[in-house]
Order: sequence, then C-alpha cells, then structure tokens
Amino acid sequence: MATLSSEAAVVAQPRPLRLPRLRIKEGTAFGWLMVALPLAFLIAFVGYPFVYGIWLSLENRAVARPAVFIGLGNFIADARDPVFWQVVRNTFVYTIVATILKAAGGLALALVMNQNFRHKDLARAIMLLPFIVPTVLSTIAWMWILDPAFSPLNWLLVHLGVAPPGPSWLGNRYLAMGSVICINTWRGLPFYAITLLAGLQTIPGDLYDAATIDGAGSWHRFRYVTLPLLQPVLLIVTMFSVIFTFADFQLVYVLTRGGPANATHLFATYSFDIAMSAGQLGHGASVALAMVPALALVIVALTLYMRRQ
Amino acid sequence: MSERTLTVAASSRRDFLRIAAAGALGSVIGAPAAGAAPKTLTFLHDSSFIRDFDAYFQKTLAPRCLEETGIKVDYTLTSVGTLQTRVSAILETGSGADIVLNNFNWPFLYDEKYVDVSDIAEEVGKAQGGWYDVAKEAVVVNGKWKAIPFGNIGQLMNYRTDWFHEVGFDKFPDTWDELLEAGTKLKAKGHPFGFELGHGFGDNHGWVYPLMWSYGAHEVEADGKTVVVDSDEMARAVDFARTFFQKTTLEDCLGWNDASNNKAFLSEQISCTNNAESILWVAKRDFPEIGKVTGQALNPAGPTGKRFHILLPWSHSVFTGASDVGTAKTFLRWLNQKQQLDDWFASADSYYAPFLHAYDDAKFWMVEPRNLPYRESLKTSHLPGWPAPVSRPQAEVIAKYVIIDMFAKACSGGATKDVLTSAQAQVKQIYDQAT
Repeated sequence: MATLSSEAAVVAQPRPLRLPRLRIKEGTAFGWLMVALPLAFLIAFVGYPFVYGIWLSLENRAVARPAVFIGLGNFIADARDPVFWQVVRNTFVYTIVATILKAAGGLALALVMNQNFRHKDLARAIMLLPFIVPTVLSTIAWMWILDPAFSPLNWLLVHLGVAPPGPSWLGNRYLAMGSVICINTWRGLPFYAITLLAGLQTIPGDLYDAATIDGAGSWHRFRYVTLPLLQPVLLIVTMFSVIFTFADFQLVYVLTRGGPANATHLFATYSFDIAMSAGQLGHGASVALAMVPALALVIVALTLYMRRQ
Repeated sequence: MSERTLTVAASSRRDFLRIAAAGALGSVIGAPAAGAAPKTLTFLHDSSFIRDFDAYFQKTLAPRCLEETGIKVDYTLTSVGTLQTRVSAILETGSGADIVLNNFNWPFLYDEKYVDVSDIAEEVGKAQGGWYDVAKEAVVVNGKWKAIPFGNIGQLMNYRTDWFHEVGFDKFPDTWDELLEAGTKLKAKGHPFGFELGHGFGDNHGWVYPLMWSYGAHEVEADGKTVVVDSDEMARAVDFARTFFQKTTLEDCLGWNDASNNKAFLSEQISCTNNAESILWVAKRDFPEIGKVTGQALNPAGPTGKRFHILLPWSHSVFTGASDVGTAKTFLRWLNQKQQLDDWFASADSYYAPFLHAYDDAKFWMVEPRNLPYRESLKTSHLPGWPAPVSRPQAEVIAKYVIIDMFAKACSGGATKDVLTSAQAQVKQIYDQAT
C-alpha cells in the first residue's frame, strides 16, 4: 500500500526533477539569511561610521554648528601642523617597537607553554591575565607602579643604588614613550602567546621526529620545522596586533593624555583632543583617518604575502 | 474655598496678602496641580570631588523640587573628565539630557544649542546682590546669557606652612621671584615643589596662564586676531619658568595629570603646588596632621605687579533640544533661588566660589578661613586665552595644549627662542585656518 502510494505520488508529481532545484534555492536563501545579519551589523556599526568619518573629514564641522564642505582643507592643515608629524612619528615608533617585542616575547612564551610541565594549565590561565583585565584598570595600576613616590621599581633602583632618586618614568619624554610601549607589550603578549600556542599544537609531532632522525638539533628543528609552519598564524596575529596597536587609545589617554609635551600622543588621542576638547569634529576626523592608508598598506602587504605562501 | 474658610485661613490682611503672593509664586514656578503627573527632567552633572555636594542634591534638593514645583529631576552624574564627550553626543543626537553643567568655555563652544537664559540671570542677579564681572566672561555670548553661572573652582597655591617657616617664610611669598627663592631653599632641604606641566584639565592651566599674564604676556591680543606668543614678555615668562622648574620642581611634573599633585602633596613628597581646595579638604579628613600645616594663598604677582588666577567656572545651561524648555527654565529659576543655593554651596564648604555677591559673607566661608583666598581670587580670574574673546580657534589652542607644551618644552631644556617660534607658528596656523 505504501509502495503503491509512493509510486502514485511519483507519477502525479515529478519531484525528482524539482527537489534538487528547490534544495539549491533553499540553501541559497539560508546562506543569504546567515550572511545578511552580520552584513547589516557591519554596515551599521563599521561601514556607516567609516563613511561618515570620511565625509566629516572633508568638512569644517564643529560640534553644534552647521557644516561647511572644505574638501581636503583639514588634511592640508594636518600636513602643516608640526604636532601632527610628531604624532605620526610617535605612532610608528610605538607600533613597530611594541609589535616586535610582542612577537618575540609571545613566541618565546608560546614555546615554553608548549612544553609539558606540572601545573601547565594553571600557568596558561595566569598568562592570559593581562589580556583579560580591562585596560583602564590595568593602566591605573601601572600609574601607581610608575609613580615616583610609590613606585616599587624606583624603590628597588634607589635601594640598589642604581638610580637615586629614581627615574621619572612619565615625566621624561623618552622614558614616557618607553613606558607606554612596555605596558602595551605586557598587555598584548598573551594574545600573541595563546594564538601561537594554538598554532604550535597543530604541527604534527612526526615532523619533529623525522627532523631529529635526520640529525637536526633543537635550533634547526625550530628554524626549519616550527617557524615555517607557524608563519601563517604569526602573520595573522601580527596583522591584528599592528591594527590594535596603531589605533591604541585607552592606555595613552589614561596614563599620559599624550604628554609630556606630546611625546606620547598617538593618532587616536590627538584626534580625540581636537574633536572633543576643541569641538572640531571634521578636523579630528581627518587626524583619525590619516592612519588608514598606513594600516591599509600593512594589511594588503600581509594578505598578499600570505596568499603567495 | 468658602468665605468662612478664607476668613479662618487669612486672619489678617497681611496674612491674606502673604497667601496670595505664595499662590502667585507657586503658579509662576509651576506648582504641581493636584493629581498631575510630575514632569521629568534629566540634569547632567560632573561628579563632584566633594561627595556631600552630589548627595545634597539627590537627597534634599531633588525631593524638594518635586514637592514645590512638580518637576522630577533625574540628576545624572558622569565621572570626572568625561562630561564633555557626553555633551558632544547629546548635541549631535539632540537627546539625552535637558540641563547640563558647563566647564570652562563650553557656553561659547555650544552656544547655538543652548537656550538664552538672560531673563533668569537678570532676575537672579537682581535678587542676590549682582554677579561678579567674571561670571559674564564665563557665560555671556554675543550679549546673551547662555548659562546661569554657579561657582568657580579656584586654583590657588597650596603649601606646607611648617616647611616654608623653616626656610624663613612665615607667610606665602608675594611675588614669583620670592617664591623661587623659597622653592630653591626647600628643594635643597628635600621638599621640592610640584607644578603640573602635563596634559591635565586644570592644574596645569592653573599656574601657567597666571604666571604668563603676570609677566604681561598672552597668546592673542584682545582683538582675537593678532598672535603675540613670540613677544619679549613671553620670553621673560618662559625664562623664569625654566629657572623656577629646574631650581624648585620635580621632573615628574612634566608628565603629571590633575590627580598627581594631590597625591604628591598628601604623601609629603612636595611642599607647594597649585590646586583647588580639594587638597586641604582631603587632608583634614584623611591626614589631619598634614591638614594642620596646609596653607592656601593667592598666586604671586609678576613683574607687572599684578596677580592673576585661572577661571574654572561651573554654570548650567538648557539644551535647545530639551524635552520641555519651559519646564527646564522653571527648574533653573527655582534652583537659583537663595533658599536652594545657600545650602547647596554650603554642602561643599566653599569648593565652588559663588559668582553672586549675596554669598560674599556667607557662613560657609567662615567654616574654613583658609579658603578665603578663593573668594578673593574671583576679582582677578580669567579664562585661558584671555584677553582674547573666547572663540573656536582659542579652544583649539587650549585643547592642543600649545601654551602648556611651550612651557613644558622650555622646562625640559628647549631654547626660549625655539619654543616661542614653534608655539607662535602653531597658534597662528590655528587662527589662520579658522578665518
């Protein structure tokens, strides 16, 4: 009975011909549905502000005042502003030095964490702490650590007779930049370490065994097995790290607000001062957007390199 | 009301007039109709350093306002330093609050989105002894009051009376040169000064601008156009500041924010700084021994023989986009009556020096006589950028810390000519771009 019914149904409706097409359509619609929400989110919260930012940068637009279109006027003013060029230098130094330190330190930490030792899981959890603690909170803790009156670092240096009366970590322009770089490195290290650790764990042990049989020592195993296989992960982490570091705001804003004498001002903090304190939204947007070409170049270069690999 | 009731309630003609006047006042300030739903306003404010001040509004003034006017006030606090960002967002979106606290020059920056409250200002001034002249400098834009002035957070000299006494100064020095002499001796004895030169909000401006003005220097002329940073007077002020910094001050001040000097003074790391009353206030509460030997004084005079102070005014404005401008103005009118202001000012001791002469001899000034210089300083206070009128380019010069950084660079070893030339070019570029 069931067979007869099925046959009758098949004869009555040529389903085998329509079903596959229906499935494709259903799959496509479902796919679009899945993509639509994140796409709408991206357009609303990333695309629109970005395009609005570009538009703002082309206007003489003060808070609470009507806008006047001035084309590239804000960018020309930036180019003539000596502090803007100091900000460019600061941002590049900050990003390059901090990224190198994070990459080297993160890789070293990941290699250590990839070994087997007691309380390995606890050590990995502790390693993540700087990344988990909110930036503003950890930066306030660093303010105390670097305070000349309360600094344990200065206490140590003074009591060891190394540097009485103790360095002015945030008052000296070079030490201030060094301090913000160190704190950024401290905060960003776990991101590198945990991602590279994940990458390390995907490398098959057989490769190390084969290399050992071929007579490779630990350095050669690292140089010819670990590093090449870790390279794609390393590049992706570096790309993210460069973006985050280049656009950093919280750390510098809380610790120095760009001082002393603009020695630690970055694109984001300088842009904020102009847009919010001075109320010049258009001019502030132009400073913020000035970091986009450099970031785009880094992203394109790294993406092309990865594709070639 | 029956004739009998009226006779009982108003036993004399004077009583009748009193009741009638109260009724009229009630209708003017919007006394609540029986059973009417309260109108709600959002009043956006910076958190005060003096906790009692905010608590007084929330616990006493807000309920009293609801009872007397039928207006429910939602007193929303922002953490120190974040209010301007909130205000910008409200101005851009047109919603978020009805009445706002202003700092520094905001009534000028946002004047187009603030309601003209000249009528209230004139009434309040007339009823309470008149306004200090500096109140107008803070809020009158193109002849219109864009805010009702509240009080000034004065920035004066805070110093250790015991340590100054040890080096031969029984009272605070009258001139910058004398202060340099005292500071040199104190630093030699391990008690340096701590004057902020970093990117803070107030304590840097609090001494740099007054020092500059007392040397006869300023960045832009009163015409609001002519840039005069690179002048002989400014060169002398910068030279003095460098010597003063090197002989008296901690190097760390170059990276300080507004909390740093409070911390340094209360940890006995420094002997003198420029600050609001908050150091003495906290010292008396948490470090009574330090509180006993903390003095407060006017800023010293410069070679011109004049002394100056920074104007850090608080004022209140109504947004043009307020949900009900009329109700907001009614609230402001009510808030600025003496019976409200008296106790609100008193709740903060004298941290906010009133801009109304009616409070010149108020009791709260006598609670701590060491605070009296803050009242005195109102006569010689000005906004940063004075004597030029407040303008957008001027606000940009301040936001970019051009003057503060010029002094900071000189103090960290920069040549006077170099720092002056660089700052002159920066200020000129900002003003040229605006025209």
